[in-house]
Amino acid sequence: MYGYNGKTLLVNLTSQAVWWEPLSAHVLRRFIGGTGLGTYLLYKYCPPGVEPFDPANPLIFVGSPLVGSRLTTSSKFAVLTKSPLTGFIGDSLSSSFMATELKKAGCDALVITGRSPFPCLLAINDGAVEFLDATPYLGLNTMATEHTIKERLGQRTRVACIGLAGERLVRYASITNDGGRQAARTGPGAVMGAKNLKAIAVRGTRTVPIFNADALHAIGTHLTQRSLGPATEKYRTLGTLANVAVFNRLGTLPTRNFQRSTFDETAQVSGEALHQTHFVTNAHCANCTIGCEQILTTTDSGPTAQGRMEYESAFALGPLLGVANANTVIRASTLCDALGLDTISAGVTIAWAMECFEKGLLTLEDTGGLALRFGNDEALLECLQLIGERRGIGDLLAEGSRRASQRLGRGSEAWAMHVKGLEMPGYEPRSLKTMALGLAVSTRGACHNRSSAYEADFSARVDRLQVDTERGRITMEGEDFSAVLDSLIWCKFLRKAFHDLYAESATIYEHITGWPIAPEELRQAGERINTLKKLFNIREGWTQKDDTLPPRVLTETLPTGVVQGVGLTRADLDMMIQGYYCARGWTAEGLIPEQKLRELEILDIVQADATEAPFP
Amino acid sequence: MAEHQAPLPLVTIQVELFGLAQLVCGRRQVAIDVPGSATVADVATALAKTCPALVGTIIRHDLSGLHESYILNLNGLTFVAQGCLTLQPGDTLLLFSSQAGG
Repeated sequence: MYGYNGKTLLVNLTSQAVWWEPLSAHVLRRFIGGTGLGTYLLYKYCPPGVEPFDPANPLIFVGSPLVGSRLTTSSKFAVLTKSPLTGFIGDSLSSSFMATELKKAGCDALVITGRSPFPCLLAINDGAVEFLDATPYLGLNTMATEHTIKERLGQRTRVACIGLAGERLVRYASITNDGGRQAARTGPGAVMGAKNLKAIAVRGTRTVPIFNADALHAIGTHLTQRSLGPATEKYRTLGTLANVAVFNRLGTLPTRNFQRSTFDETAQVSGEALHQTHFVTNAHCANCTIGCEQILTTTDSGPTAQGRMEYESAFALGPLLGVANANTVIRASTLCDALGLDTISAGVTIAWAMECFEKGLLTLEDTGGLALRFGNDEALLECLQLIGERRGIGDLLAEGSRRASQRLGRGSEAWAMHVKGLEMPGYEPRSLKTMALGLAVSTRGACHNRSSAYEADFSARVDRLQVDTERGRITMEGEDFSAVLDSLIWCKFLRKAFHDLYAESATIYEHITGWPIAPEELRQAGERINTLKKLFNIREGWTQKDDTLPPRVLTETLPTGVVQGVGLTRADLDMMIQGYYCARGWTAEGLIPEQKLRELEILDIVQADATEAPFP
Repeated sequence: MAEHQAPLPLVTIQVELFGLAQLVCGRRQVAIDVPGSATVADVATALAKTCPALVGTIIRHDLSGLHESYILNLNGLTFVAQGCLTLQPGDTLLLFSSQAGG
């Protein structure tokens, strides 16, 4: 087999059983790798109805056929599990050397189940597995954990670990690898913590052969050239931080817990300002020629903090909380990385708490004396630490905005800004109507990346302030496109460098694997993957009412900026959702007809006995 | 027989610069004069006069328009396709990367 190892490594932490299962060409061609193959494996190995923190919930790491090819941006992997935030499919992507090392260790996927009886460091060396004692690393932050393990096992060892937040089962804890890269959304770090698994260390020396290396090299050289051209210029210059000022001007920058969509002090935290006053250098993932990462540093007299900064972190820890001090935003982001927290969910949950505090639903007594007001820099930093430790008010906020609001009650659910339990990203849905639909129907909750529906809104293709049923088709196409990107796995920032993603990727796939594949087959793989994600959610209790947006979005209009007075009614959202179900060929209730399962060749998967215990 | 066309009256508009455009120009906003019924090429030409540093990086060398990776938005509301723009005095064009998201 070319391009793949053709097998999954399975580990049961409870019994310390280790075994391999083959991955057939039929499965690999249908689900490709990354998110797609991970969805297949999650559907197969996750017992229906299992609680996310139950040992039986699998934690799955998946590489891709592109990993090891040296193509630009190809060193990525996916992490899947049943999410402790949503109770539905949880999938995240991360990147760099961990991806290549897993492949060199001999597996296309690593499936971990069970719960270790002791704090565990799972060490994988060319397929040989050891269960080491991780007690010395408990309580260490993510960087220190990785550093210490590398000192013990060798600098070439690649480490994926959790911080304190994962150990304490903060529901939006991340898994960190390669010096601060995060698989964060949907909380896989909390599932890792529930397994008493502090870290995974991987080394490998194997090479997976490529079918036509010469042809691939020629294409790869051309793709690298394009990756350095205008199609990625934004990411190479300011990174995603370039969004801050533009979004503010367009009235799409969520501010003060989505009460507004403009931030008066944007000039202090814009990408342009941060670049001029806090910029240290650009950084990039392994095998990436774009280098989108902005490494920023604090410049005031406080403790120095330095790290990567993305738009989503800047929005969630800045304008969303009314925080305009760039040094505080940088400190908060690096603190999240150290604790192992998803910055989006952390910021949105704190924003909910700040609104509760300002409305009198949370008092100083509740917060342990912390004045959780919008714009309170010190309260933000202290609150993040409390969340990571699950101490004081942090224990409530560690549950995420949905559970915290349900526990507090008193109407606070109305401003808990999540979809399906996953906190909202930095795209105001009232002024981005296609994105509103994408957020509402996404299988992983409030996610901007699994549909990229905002692309239509930020173009002349649609009127972003109006609704129509056509948004359903646009969102569906964006989801399928993204599923192919996330399964091959390409970085999304490379997407504009392709003239035709499906055609070019099909050629590359054939050169890597030797398996001819038509562009249409790849597109259909995207549809198949999204359909199986939805089937997983249906199996876990999804109903039509889960495809919605937070009450605030559907009842309040935007008060400021060029979008003053703009809102989104439930009727308009429902109309777009029906357009989406129709485009997908689903029923009006959002269910999937059997004929569609046959068409996508996944009826066999759904009919398999999922209750059969797959582990010894 | 071809009719002689009077030149269209010019209107003064503002252009707000974001991202690389702001960095290379060192300014957040510039004023330009363009025909009231302008093409993107007219805007590019007027911008090139005011901010020559944009040529090559953001404006095409032949001044026929913007590179594909840039986009214009009128008054923060309407994204501009390749056709004609109807501009009023005091209008604002936003110039930023078309690479949305992240």
